[in-house]
Amino acid sequence: MNHTNNTQQSNDARHDDDAALTEFLSSLMDYTPTIPDELVEHYLAKSGFQCPDVRLIRLVAVATQKFVAEVAGDALLQCRARQSAVVKDKREKQQKDKRPILTMEDLSKALRDYGVNVKHQEYFADSPSTGMDPASRDE
Amino acid sequence: MSHGGGESGRLLEKSQHAKRKSGASGDEFAQAIAKIAVAQICESAGFQTFQQSALEILSDATIQYIRNLGKLAQSYTNLAGRTNVNALDVIQGLEELGSSQGFADASDIDHCIASSGTVRELVQYFSEAEDIPFAYSIPTFPVVRERKPVPSFLQIGEEPPPEHIPAWLPAFPDPQTYVQLPTENEGATDSNTRKFELARLHTRTDRSLPNLQNYTGNGSGGPSSVAPVGGSEAKLAVEGNPFLAAPLQFGEKEVSHVVPPAKPSNEAAVRNLIDQNCLLDNHVPVLDTFAPPIEAMKSWSCDSEDGQKKVLLNQRPAVQFKIGVGKKSLGIALELSSQNKGVEKMSPWSGKDSEKDDKKIRAEKILKQSTDNPRELAQL
Repeated sequence: MNHTNNTQQSNDARHDDDAALTEFLSSLMDYTPTIPDELVEHYLAKSGFQCPDVRLIRLVAVATQKFVAEVAGDALLQCRARQSAVVKDKREKQQKDKRPILTMEDLSKALRDYGVNVKHQEYFADSPSTGMDPASRDE
Repeated sequence: MSHGGGESGRLLEKSQHAKRKSGASGDEFAQAIAKIAVAQICESAGFQTFQQSALEILSDATIQYIRNLGKLAQSYTNLAGRTNVNALDVIQGLEELGSSQGFADASDIDHCIASSGTVRELVQYFSEAEDIPFAYSIPTFPVVRERKPVPSFLQIGEEPPPEHIPAWLPAFPDPQTYVQLPTENEGATDSNTRKFELARLHTRTDRSLPNLQNYTGNGSGGPSSVAPVGGSEAKLAVEGNPFLAAPLQFGEKEVSHVVPPAKPSNEAAVRNLIDQNCLLDNHVPVLDTFAPPIEAMKSWSCDSEDGQKKVLLNQRPAVQFKIGVGKKSLGIALELSSQNKGVEKMSPWSGKDSEKDDKKIRAEKILKQSTDNPRELAQL
Protein backbone atom coordinates (compact mmCIF):
# COMPACT_ATOMS: atom_id res chain seq x y z
CA MET A 1 0.00 0.00 0.00
CA ASN A 2 2.68 2.32 1.06
CA HIS A 3 4.60 1.64 -2.09
CA THR A 4 1.64 2.34 -4.37
CA ASN A 5 0.99 5.49 -2.44
CA ASN A 6 4.53 6.62 -3.07
CA THR A 7 4.35 5.93 -6.77
CA GLN A 8 1.06 7.71 -6.96
CA GLN A 9 2.54 10.69 -5.21
CA SER A 10 5.52 10.73 -7.50
CA ASN A 11 3.23 10.40 -10.47
CA ASP A 12 1.25 13.35 -9.24
CA ALA A 13 4.42 15.29 -8.71
CA ARG A 14 5.52 14.45 -12.21
CA HIS A 15 2.21 15.58 -13.55
CA ASP A 16 2.64 18.79 -11.63
CA ASP A 17 6.12 19.20 -13.03
CA ASP A 18 4.90 18.54 -16.52
CA ALA A 19 2.12 21.02 -16.07
CA ALA A 20 4.55 23.60 -14.70
CA LEU A 21 6.91 23.03 -17.61
CA THR A 22 4.18 23.35 -20.23
CA GLU A 23 2.86 26.41 -18.49
CA PHE A 24 6.31 27.92 -18.41
CA LEU A 25 6.85 27.13 -22.07
CA SER A 26 3.52 28.59 -23.09
CA SER A 27 4.21 31.72 -21.05
CA LEU A 28 7.38 32.12 -23.10
CA MET A 29 5.19 32.77 -26.11
CA ASP A 30 4.20 36.17 -24.76
CA TYR A 31 7.62 37.04 -23.47
CA THR A 32 10.15 39.08 -25.38
CA PRO A 33 13.59 38.28 -24.04
CA THR A 34 16.34 40.88 -24.14
CA ILE A 35 18.40 38.64 -26.39
CA PRO A 36 16.54 38.80 -29.68
CA ASP A 37 15.12 35.64 -31.20
CA GLU A 38 16.94 36.23 -34.44
CA LEU A 39 20.33 36.23 -32.75
CA VAL A 40 19.63 33.04 -30.82
CA GLU A 41 18.21 31.36 -33.89
CA HIS A 42 21.27 32.32 -35.92
CA TYR A 43 23.74 30.87 -33.46
CA LEU A 44 21.64 27.79 -32.77
CA ALA A 45 21.47 27.12 -36.48
CA LYS A 46 25.23 27.43 -36.59
CA SER A 47 25.56 24.66 -34.02
CA GLY A 48 23.19 22.33 -35.81
CA PHE A 49 20.10 22.98 -33.73
CA GLN A 50 16.97 22.87 -35.82
CA CYS A 51 13.54 23.43 -34.42
CA PRO A 52 10.59 25.38 -35.76
CA ASP A 53 9.24 25.97 -32.24
CA VAL A 54 9.65 29.57 -31.09
CA ARG A 55 9.24 28.54 -27.47
CA LEU A 56 12.47 26.58 -27.52
CA ILE A 57 14.31 29.53 -29.01
CA ARG A 58 12.88 31.67 -26.25
CA LEU A 59 13.83 29.03 -23.69
CA VAL A 60 17.42 29.20 -24.85
CA ALA A 61 17.24 32.98 -24.90
CA VAL A 62 15.96 33.09 -21.33
CA ALA A 63 18.61 30.63 -20.18
CA THR A 64 21.30 32.74 -21.83
CA GLN A 65 19.88 35.87 -20.34
CA LYS A 66 19.96 34.24 -16.93
CA PHE A 67 23.57 33.26 -17.50
CA VAL A 68 24.58 36.78 -18.49
CA ALA A 69 22.63 38.30 -15.64
CA GLU A 70 24.29 35.98 -13.14
CA VAL A 71 27.73 36.80 -14.47
CA ALA A 72 26.94 40.49 -14.42
CA GLY A 73 25.59 40.21 -10.87
CA ASP A 74 28.76 38.44 -9.74
CA ALA A 75 30.88 41.07 -11.44
CA LEU A 76 28.85 43.77 -9.72
CA LEU A 77 29.44 42.11 -6.37
CA GLN A 78 33.17 41.97 -7.12
CA CYS A 79 33.07 45.61 -8.09
CA ARG A 80 31.23 46.62 -4.92
CA ALA A 81 33.60 44.62 -2.74
CA ARG A 82 36.59 46.24 -4.41
CA GLN A 83 35.11 49.70 -4.08
CA SER A 84 34.24 49.23 -0.45
CA ALA A 85 37.81 48.09 0.20
CA VAL A 86 39.09 51.17 -1.58
CA VAL A 87 36.66 53.45 0.16
CA LYS A 88 37.98 52.29 3.49
CA ASP A 89 41.39 53.60 2.45
CA LYS A 90 40.44 56.74 0.63
CA ARG A 91 37.30 58.41 1.82
CA GLU A 92 37.64 61.32 -0.53
CA LYS A 93 37.14 59.13 -3.60
CA GLN A 94 33.77 57.89 -2.39
CA GLN A 95 31.78 60.26 -4.53
CA LYS A 96 33.73 59.63 -7.66
CA ASP A 97 33.54 55.84 -7.58
CA LYS A 98 29.85 55.55 -7.07
CA ARG A 99 29.04 54.58 -10.60
CA PRO A 100 29.75 50.88 -11.01
CA ILE A 101 31.94 50.07 -14.01
CA LEU A 102 32.10 46.70 -15.68
CA THR A 103 35.84 46.14 -15.76
CA MET A 104 37.90 43.28 -17.03
CA GLU A 105 39.17 42.63 -13.54
CA ASP A 106 35.75 41.99 -12.07
CA LEU A 107 34.46 40.23 -15.13
CA SER A 108 37.32 37.77 -15.29
CA LYS A 109 36.82 36.90 -11.63
CA ALA A 110 33.09 36.42 -12.19
CA LEU A 111 33.57 34.36 -15.34
CA ARG A 112 36.08 32.09 -13.65
CA ASP A 113 33.24 30.69 -11.54
CA TYR A 114 31.41 29.76 -14.73
CA GLY A 115 34.28 27.93 -16.30
CA VAL A 116 35.52 30.71 -18.54
CA ASN A 117 39.17 31.57 -18.07
CA VAL A 118 39.91 35.12 -19.10
CA LYS A 119 43.49 36.21 -19.03
CA HIS A 120 43.70 39.93 -19.27
CA GLN A 121 46.88 41.27 -20.70
CA GLU A 122 48.72 43.30 -18.16
CA TYR A 123 49.31 46.43 -20.17
CA PHE A 124 46.24 46.15 -22.34
CA ALA A 125 44.85 49.60 -23.10
CA ASP A 126 41.07 49.47 -22.96
CA SER A 127 40.55 53.10 -23.80
CA PRO A 128 42.64 56.13 -24.76
CA SER A 129 42.42 57.34 -21.17
CA THR A 130 43.85 54.15 -19.70
CA GLY A 131 47.29 55.50 -18.94
CA MET A 132 46.23 59.04 -18.17
CA ASP A 133 45.47 58.83 -14.49
CA PRO A 134 47.71 56.27 -12.85
CA ALA A 135 46.42 57.13 -9.38
CA SER A 136 42.87 56.08 -10.19
CA ARG A 137 44.09 53.00 -12.03
CA ASP A 138 46.29 51.79 -9.24
CA GLU A 139 43.42 51.33 -6.85
CA MET B 1 16.94 52.94 -21.15
CA SER B 2 17.98 56.11 -22.88
CA HIS B 3 21.46 55.44 -21.63
CA GLY B 4 21.36 51.97 -23.12
CA GLY B 5 20.39 53.43 -26.47
CA GLY B 6 23.39 55.72 -26.32
CA GLU B 7 25.62 52.80 -25.51
CA SER B 8 24.32 50.76 -28.35
CA GLY B 9 24.75 53.66 -30.75
CA ARG B 10 28.37 53.91 -29.74
CA LEU B 11 28.64 50.17 -30.06
CA LEU B 12 27.41 50.19 -33.60
CA GLU B 13 30.01 52.77 -34.50
CA LYS B 14 32.66 50.69 -32.83
CA SER B 15 31.57 47.53 -34.55
CA GLN B 16 31.64 49.26 -37.91
CA HIS B 17 35.11 50.45 -37.11
CA ALA B 18 36.12 46.92 -36.19
CA LYS B 19 34.66 45.62 -39.42
CA ARG B 20 36.73 48.03 -41.41
CA LYS B 21 39.84 47.06 -39.49
CA SER B 22 39.56 43.29 -39.31
CA GLY B 23 37.98 42.60 -42.66
CA ALA B 24 34.77 40.69 -43.19
CA SER B 25 34.41 37.56 -41.09
CA GLY B 26 30.71 37.51 -41.89
CA ASP B 27 29.53 37.61 -38.31
CA GLU B 28 29.96 41.25 -37.29
CA PHE B 29 26.27 41.98 -37.38
CA ALA B 30 25.40 39.17 -34.99
CA GLN B 31 28.29 40.09 -32.73
CA ALA B 32 27.19 43.72 -32.59
CA ILE B 33 23.65 42.68 -31.71
CA ALA B 34 24.96 40.35 -29.02
CA LYS B 35 26.94 43.24 -27.56
CA ILE B 36 23.90 45.45 -27.44
CA ALA B 37 21.83 42.75 -25.77
CA VAL B 38 24.55 41.99 -23.24
CA ALA B 39 24.93 45.69 -22.50
CA GLN B 40 21.22 45.94 -21.85
CA ILE B 41 21.31 42.97 -19.47
CA CYS B 42 24.32 44.43 -17.66
CA GLU B 43 22.53 47.70 -17.31
CA SER B 44 19.54 45.97 -15.79
CA ALA B 45 21.95 44.18 -13.41
CA GLY B 46 23.17 47.55 -12.12
CA PHE B 47 26.18 48.52 -14.21
CA GLN B 48 26.17 51.95 -15.73
CA THR B 49 29.42 51.98 -17.67
CA PHE B 50 31.74 49.35 -18.94
CA GLN B 51 35.12 48.78 -20.40
CA GLN B 52 34.96 48.01 -24.08
CA SER B 53 37.06 44.86 -23.77
CA ALA B 54 34.97 43.56 -20.88
CA LEU B 55 31.80 43.94 -22.88
CA GLU B 56 33.38 42.21 -25.85
CA ILE B 57 34.48 39.28 -23.75
CA LEU B 58 31.12 38.96 -22.05
CA SER B 59 29.29 39.02 -25.36
CA ASP B 60 31.69 36.43 -26.74
CA ALA B 61 31.02 34.24 -23.73
CA THR B 62 27.29 34.70 -24.30
CA ILE B 63 27.59 33.62 -27.92
CA GLN B 64 29.59 30.59 -26.88
CA TYR B 65 26.96 29.76 -24.28
CA ILE B 66 24.21 29.78 -26.90
CA ARG B 67 26.26 27.68 -29.28
CA ASN B 68 27.24 25.16 -26.62
CA LEU B 69 23.65 24.85 -25.48
CA GLY B 70 22.54 24.30 -29.05
CA LYS B 71 25.23 21.70 -29.64
CA LEU B 72 24.41 19.80 -26.45
CA ALA B 73 20.68 19.85 -27.13
CA GLN B 74 21.27 18.64 -30.67
CA SER B 75 23.52 15.84 -29.47
CA TYR B 76 20.90 14.70 -26.95
CA THR B 77 18.32 14.78 -29.73
CA ASN B 78 20.51 12.67 -31.95
CA LEU B 79 21.16 10.32 -29.07
CA ALA B 80 17.42 9.75 -28.85
CA GLY B 81 17.26 9.10 -32.57
CA ARG B 82 15.42 12.27 -33.51
CA THR B 83 16.28 15.25 -35.67
CA ASN B 84 13.99 17.89 -34.21
CA VAL B 85 14.96 19.23 -30.81
CA ASN B 86 12.36 19.28 -28.07
CA ALA B 87 12.24 21.04 -24.71
CA LEU B 88 13.58 18.07 -22.75
CA ASP B 89 16.74 18.02 -24.86
CA VAL B 90 17.29 21.69 -24.13
CA ILE B 91 16.76 21.07 -20.43
CA GLN B 92 19.26 18.23 -20.48
CA GLY B 93 21.71 20.54 -22.19
CA LEU B 94 21.08 23.18 -19.54
CA GLU B 95 21.73 20.62 -16.82
CA GLU B 96 25.02 19.68 -18.40
CA LEU B 97 26.07 23.29 -18.81
CA GLY B 98 25.04 24.07 -15.26
CA SER B 99 26.82 21.06 -13.80
CA SER B 100 29.94 23.15 -13.13
CA GLN B 101 28.04 25.41 -10.77
CA GLY B 102 25.63 22.77 -9.59
CA PHE B 103 21.88 23.06 -9.32
CA ALA B 104 19.11 21.76 -7.09
CA ASP B 105 18.62 17.99 -7.22
CA ALA B 106 21.77 17.55 -9.28
CA SER B 107 22.77 14.60 -7.12
CA ASP B 108 19.49 12.79 -7.80
CA ILE B 109 20.17 10.66 -10.85
CA ASP B 110 16.65 9.34 -11.33
CA HIS B 111 14.87 12.64 -11.25
CA CYS B 112 12.48 13.51 -14.03
CA ILE B 113 13.86 15.95 -16.52
CA ALA B 114 10.73 18.03 -16.38
CA SER B 115 11.28 18.57 -12.64
CA SER B 116 14.91 19.50 -13.06
CA GLY B 117 16.44 22.02 -10.72
CA THR B 118 17.64 24.09 -13.64
CA VAL B 119 14.11 24.48 -14.90
CA ARG B 120 12.95 25.59 -11.49
CA GLU B 121 15.74 28.12 -11.29
CA LEU B 122 14.91 29.29 -14.75
CA VAL B 123 11.24 29.70 -13.92
CA GLN B 124 12.20 31.62 -10.82
CA TYR B 125 14.47 33.93 -12.78
CA PHE B 126 11.78 34.30 -15.41
CA SER B 127 9.22 35.37 -12.87
CA GLU B 128 11.58 37.82 -11.19
CA ALA B 129 13.25 39.34 -14.22
CA GLU B 130 11.89 42.52 -15.62
CA ASP B 131 10.81 42.41 -19.20
CA ILE B 132 13.39 44.40 -21.15
CA PRO B 133 12.79 44.11 -24.86
CA PHE B 134 15.68 44.53 -27.22
CA ALA B 135 16.37 48.13 -28.12
CA TYR B 136 16.07 47.67 -31.89
CA SER B 137 13.90 45.72 -34.23
CA ILE B 138 16.05 43.32 -36.16
CA PRO B 139 15.37 41.84 -39.55
CA THR B 140 15.86 38.10 -39.85
CA PHE B 141 19.41 37.33 -40.72
CA PRO B 142 21.53 36.13 -42.38
CA VAL B 143 19.76 37.39 -45.46
CA VAL B 144 19.56 34.70 -48.11
CA ARG B 145 19.01 36.13 -51.54
CA GLU B 146 16.64 34.15 -53.65
CA ARG B 147 18.25 32.90 -56.81
CA LYS B 148 16.30 33.48 -59.94
CA PRO B 149 16.79 30.43 -62.09
CA VAL B 150 17.06 30.70 -65.83
CA PRO B 151 13.62 29.95 -67.37
CA SER B 152 13.39 26.64 -69.14
CA PHE B 153 12.25 26.09 -72.71
CA LEU B 154 8.88 25.05 -71.33
CA GLN B 155 8.40 28.30 -69.39
CA ILE B 156 9.39 30.46 -72.30
CA GLY B 157 7.14 28.46 -74.55
CA GLU B 158 9.56 27.91 -77.38
CA GLU B 159 10.69 24.64 -78.83
CA PRO B 160 14.28 23.58 -78.14
CA PRO B 161 16.18 23.92 -81.41
CA PRO B 162 17.77 20.47 -81.49
CA GLU B 163 15.27 17.75 -80.73
CA HIS B 164 17.45 15.83 -78.32
CA ILE B 165 17.27 18.63 -75.71
CA PRO B 166 14.29 18.09 -73.40
CA ALA B 167 11.96 21.03 -72.86
CA TRP B 168 12.51 21.25 -69.11
CA LEU B 169 16.14 22.26 -69.47
CA PRO B 170 17.03 25.98 -69.19
CA ALA B 171 16.67 27.86 -72.42
CA PHE B 172 19.63 29.09 -74.41
CA PRO B 173 20.54 32.72 -73.88
CA ASP B 174 19.79 35.21 -76.62
CA PRO B 175 22.02 34.70 -79.65
CA GLN B 176 23.51 38.19 -79.48
CA THR B 177 25.03 37.33 -76.11
CA TYR B 178 27.27 34.67 -77.57
CA VAL B 179 27.45 35.47 -81.29
CA GLN B 180 30.60 37.52 -80.90
CA LEU B 181 32.42 34.94 -78.87
CA PRO B 182 33.78 32.77 -81.71
CA THR B 183 35.83 35.61 -83.25
CA GLU B 184 37.50 36.27 -79.92
CA ASN B 185 38.15 32.60 -79.55
CA GLU B 186 39.68 32.43 -83.00
CA GLY B 187 41.98 35.26 -82.13
CA ALA B 188 43.00 33.44 -79.01
CA THR B 189 43.61 30.19 -80.88
CA ASP B 190 45.56 32.08 -83.53
CA SER B 191 47.88 33.52 -80.99
CA ASN B 192 48.09 30.09 -79.40
CA THR B 193 48.96 28.38 -82.64
CA ARG B 194 51.49 31.08 -83.36
CA LYS B 195 53.10 30.46 -80.01
CA PHE B 196 52.97 26.75 -80.63
CA GLU B 197 54.66 27.11 -83.99
CA LEU B 198 57.34 29.29 -82.49
CA ALA B 199 57.95 26.66 -79.85
CA ARG B 200 58.08 23.99 -82.54
CA LEU B 201 60.62 25.99 -84.51
CA HIS B 202 62.75 26.24 -81.38
CA THR B 203 62.57 22.52 -80.82
CA ARG B 204 63.40 21.94 -84.48
CA THR B 205 66.56 23.99 -84.20
CA ASP B 206 67.36 22.19 -80.99
CA ARG B 207 66.86 18.89 -82.70
CA SER B 208 69.04 19.89 -85.64
CA LEU B 209 71.99 20.40 -83.34
CA PRO B 210 72.36 16.72 -82.40
CA ASN B 211 71.90 15.93 -86.10
CA LEU B 212 74.84 18.12 -86.89
CA GLN B 213 76.80 16.37 -84.22
CA ASN B 214 75.86 13.08 -85.83
CA TYR B 215 77.24 14.27 -89.11
CA THR B 216 80.48 15.38 -87.58
CA GLY B 217 80.66 12.18 -85.55
CA ASN B 218 80.26 10.06 -88.65
CA GLY B 219 82.84 12.20 -90.36
CA SER B 220 85.35 11.48 -87.67
CA GLY B 221 84.48 7.78 -87.82
CA GLY B 222 84.84 7.41 -91.55
CA PRO B 223 85.37 9.54 -94.64
CA SER B 224 83.45 12.81 -94.79
CA SER B 225 81.95 11.89 -98.13
CA VAL B 226 79.83 9.16 -96.55
CA ALA B 227 76.52 10.98 -96.61
CA PRO B 228 76.37 11.92 -100.28
CA VAL B 229 77.76 8.63 -101.51
CA GLY B 230 75.72 6.47 -99.17
CA GLY B 231 72.49 7.16 -101.05
CA SER B 232 69.07 6.43 -99.62
CA GLU B 233 70.26 3.97 -97.01
CA ALA B 234 72.68 6.38 -95.38
CA LYS B 235 70.15 9.18 -95.49
CA LEU B 236 67.56 6.99 -93.87
CA ALA B 237 70.00 6.12 -91.14
CA VAL B 238 70.81 9.76 -90.48
CA GLU B 239 67.18 10.79 -90.52
CA GLY B 240 66.21 7.97 -88.26
CA ASN B 241 68.88 9.01 -85.82
CA PRO B 242 67.42 12.16 -84.21
CA PHE B 243 65.16 10.16 -81.96
CA LEU B 244 68.10 8.16 -80.72
CA ALA B 245 70.62 10.94 -81.07
CA ALA B 246 70.57 12.58 -77.66
CA PRO B 247 71.20 9.66 -75.31
CA LEU B 248 73.56 7.64 -77.52
CA GLN B 249 77.23 8.09 -78.23
CA PHE B 250 78.59 7.58 -81.66
CA GLY B 251 80.18 4.27 -81.00
CA GLU B 252 76.84 2.77 -80.03
CA LYS B 253 75.09 4.34 -82.97
CA GLU B 254 77.29 2.73 -85.52
CA VAL B 255 76.83 -0.54 -83.77
CA SER B 256 73.09 -0.23 -84.16
CA HIS B 257 73.55 -0.21 -87.92
CA VAL B 258 75.52 -3.36 -87.79
CA VAL B 259 73.20 -5.38 -85.59
CA PRO B 260 70.58 -6.54 -88.12
CA PRO B 261 72.65 -8.56 -90.60
CA ALA B 262 70.83 -11.49 -92.13
CA LYS B 263 73.78 -13.84 -92.22
CA PRO B 264 74.26 -15.91 -89.12
CA SER B 265 77.70 -16.97 -90.26
CA ASN B 266 79.10 -13.44 -90.25
CA GLU B 267 77.27 -12.43 -87.10
CA ALA B 268 79.93 -13.93 -84.92
CA ALA B 269 82.60 -11.72 -86.41
CA VAL B 270 80.38 -8.70 -86.22
CA ARG B 271 79.46 -9.42 -82.63
CA ASN B 272 83.09 -9.66 -81.81
CA LEU B 273 83.55 -6.25 -83.31
CA ILE B 274 80.62 -4.90 -81.33
CA ASP B 275 81.97 -6.35 -78.15
CA GLN B 276 85.27 -4.79 -78.94
CA ASN B 277 83.59 -1.42 -79.48
CA CYS B 278 81.61 -1.65 -76.33
CA LEU B 279 84.68 -2.55 -74.39
CA LEU B 280 86.80 0.21 -75.78
CA ASP B 281 84.08 2.85 -75.94
CA ASN B 282 85.88 4.52 -78.81
CA HIS B 283 85.78 2.62 -82.03
CA VAL B 284 88.09 4.69 -84.23
CA PRO B 285 91.39 3.14 -83.19
CA VAL B 286 89.76 -0.27 -83.23
CA LEU B 287 88.62 0.17 -86.79
CA ASP B 288 92.09 1.27 -87.71
CA THR B 289 93.60 -1.71 -86.00
CA PHE B 290 91.27 -4.08 -87.74
CA ALA B 291 91.83 -2.49 -91.09
CA PRO B 292 93.92 -5.33 -92.61
CA PRO B 293 91.48 -8.22 -92.02
CA ILE B 294 88.53 -6.05 -93.05
CA GLU B 295 90.36 -5.06 -96.18
CA ALA B 296 90.86 -8.69 -96.88
CA MET B 297 87.18 -9.39 -96.37
CA LYS B 298 86.25 -6.51 -98.62
CA SER B 299 88.41 -7.80 -101.38
CA TRP B 300 86.79 -11.22 -101.07
CA SER B 301 83.32 -9.81 -101.12
CA CYS B 302 84.22 -7.68 -104.12
CA ASP B 303 85.53 -10.68 -105.91
CA SER B 304 82.46 -12.64 -105.22
CA GLU B 305 80.28 -9.77 -106.32
CA ASP B 306 82.30 -9.47 -109.47
CA GLY B 307 81.54 -13.09 -110.07
CA GLN B 308 77.84 -12.46 -109.67
CA LYS B 309 77.67 -9.19 -111.51
CA LYS B 310 74.31 -9.96 -112.99
CA VAL B 311 72.69 -9.96 -109.61
CA LEU B 312 74.40 -7.08 -107.81
CA LEU B 313 75.01 -4.69 -110.63
CA ASN B 314 72.63 -2.07 -109.36
CA GLN B 315 74.25 -1.92 -105.98
CA ARG B 316 77.75 -1.29 -107.18
CA PRO B 317 78.18 2.27 -105.87
CA ALA B 318 76.76 1.32 -102.52
CA VAL B 319 79.20 -1.55 -102.24
CA GLN B 320 82.07 0.75 -102.97
CA PHE B 321 80.93 3.09 -100.21
CA LYS B 322 80.85 0.14 -97.87
CA ILE B 323 84.42 -0.48 -98.64
CA GLY B 324 85.14 2.93 -97.15
CA VAL B 325 83.55 2.10 -93.79
CA GLY B 326 84.53 -1.35 -92.66
CA LYS B 327 81.82 -2.42 -90.27
CA LYS B 328 78.91 -0.81 -92.02
CA SER B 329 79.88 -2.45 -95.26
CA LEU B 330 79.45 -5.89 -93.74
CA GLY B 331 75.95 -5.36 -92.45
CA ILE B 332 74.58 -3.41 -95.36
CA ALA B 333 76.17 -5.59 -97.97
CA LEU B 334 74.56 -8.60 -96.41
CA GLU B 335 71.22 -6.86 -96.24
CA LEU B 336 71.47 -5.83 -99.85
CA SER B 337 72.39 -9.27 -100.92
CA SER B 338 69.42 -10.69 -99.09
CA GLN B 339 67.21 -8.09 -100.71
CA ASN B 340 68.46 -9.04 -104.12
CA LYS B 341 67.88 -12.69 -103.45
CA GLY B 342 71.49 -13.47 -104.03
CA VAL B 343 71.60 -15.14 -100.65
CA GLU B 344 71.48 -18.67 -101.93
CA LYS B 345 74.32 -18.05 -104.28
CA MET B 346 76.39 -16.17 -101.75
CA SER B 347 75.81 -18.50 -98.84
CA PRO B 348 78.36 -21.16 -99.84
CA TRP B 349 81.38 -18.86 -100.10
CA SER B 350 80.38 -16.69 -97.16
CA GLY B 351 79.98 -19.79 -95.03
CA LYS B 352 83.50 -20.99 -95.82
CA ASP B 353 85.24 -17.66 -95.88
CA SER B 354 83.63 -16.31 -92.78
CA GLU B 355 85.07 -19.20 -90.81
CA LYS B 356 88.51 -18.36 -92.07
CA ASP B 357 87.86 -14.68 -91.39
CA ASP B 358 86.70 -15.45 -87.90
CA LYS B 359 89.87 -17.29 -87.16
CA LYS B 360 91.98 -14.53 -88.63
CA ILE B 361 90.09 -11.79 -86.83
CA ARG B 362 90.19 -13.58 -83.53
CA ALA B 363 93.89 -14.12 -83.79
CA GLU B 364 94.47 -10.51 -84.72
CA LYS B 365 92.17 -9.33 -82.01
CA ILE B 366 93.85 -11.27 -79.29
CA LEU B 367 97.17 -9.89 -80.41
CA LYS B 368 95.89 -6.35 -80.57
CA GLN B 369 94.09 -6.60 -77.28
CA SER B 370 97.22 -7.69 -75.58
CA THR B 371 99.10 -4.77 -77.07
CA ASP B 372 96.35 -2.14 -76.91
CA ASN B 373 94.85 -2.84 -73.51
CA PRO B 374 97.39 -0.96 -71.43
CA ARG B 375 96.93 2.04 -73.74
CA GLU B 376 93.16 1.88 -73.64
CA LEU B 377 93.13 1.50 -69.90
CA ALA B 378 95.28 4.57 -69.62
CA GLN B 379 92.87 6.43 -71.88
CA LEU B 380 89.87 5.34 -69.87
